Amino acid sequence: MNPTVRQPWELSSAPPRGRQSGTGGALAQAGDELRRRSSRLLGRSLQIRTIDTGSCGACESEVKLLASPHYDLHRLGLFFTPAPRHADCLLVTGPGTLAMDHALLATYEAMPDPKIVVAVGACPLGGVFGPDQYSHGGVVVPIDVVIPGCPPSPLALLHGLLVAVDRLAERLGPDLRTSGGPG
Amino acid sequence: MALWFLRGTRRGVVTTTYPKRADPSSAHLPTPPTFDSAALNASVATRMVAVCPSRALELEPGALILDRGRCTACQRCLTVGAGVGTPSGQFEWATREPARLRLSFPLAGGA
Repeated sequence: MNPTVRQPWELSSAPPRGRQSGTGGALAQAGDELRRRSSRLLGRSLQIRTIDTGSCGACESEVKLLASPHYDLHRLGLFFTPAPRHADCLLVTGPGTLAMDHALLATYEAMPDPKIVVAVGACPLGGVFGPDQYSHGGVVVPIDVVIPGCPPSPLALLHGLLVAVDRLAERLGPDLRTSGGPG
Repeated sequence: MALWFLRGTRRGVVTTTYPKRADPSSAHLPTPPTFDSAALNASVATRMVAVCPSRALELEPGALILDRGRCTACQRCLTVGAGVGTPSGQFEWATREPARLRLSFPLAGGA
């Protein structure tokens, strides 16, 4: 391996999330340490199970493109799996319709620990549908990482999945006009 | 040999180098807006909140709140508030803390 070329798993410069103060400081630090250990375990080979909780299908079309030759998520050690028993990451789309509650919870429970839940799109964040008689307007399982967008592009999905395993840093800034741009 | 391989080679189909390097296609992605607070007043902000179909914009006393997590980048607010906002050009929004997706833009002249 050429030492001057950084491999994708070496790109992470994500600092530990700052939760130093407050009564839950020690607990938060323990949580961060656990998350880092999980990321080390999952960082080089992440098996992804997707579940649609009532989306329009736009997010799925973008997720599907991840496996296309251009985006080729396999080069990053990311793989789709149909079996929740084999999955490390649950990719959730849609606004969380009540009819999908059982399927979502059963899938989540079937996944072995440690597991990561990534919410995809504006729907899980309440952006398109609010809570009503059909949906929660969000996801009912604990979310680790959110990837906003309607739909998020495959590049955004790649970024989000790599953030989920601590291989890339978050790029949110106070004002993105002053940021260095994508890359 | 499969024809698709030859066709792909001839057309120069290549895998993106992202995340090592930026992907050229990212410049054409629809992105949530960012606003110029100096040009943002209560009247324009109210109209932008009214046209937002995804409840991503909220008006608070003295500030316009943009929830980038809810935004669908439809750009209706940019049509209503021409000259006030521009697409942010940023697509890497993934975060562990959704609260960080909310941005506050102070209104010129306060409330």
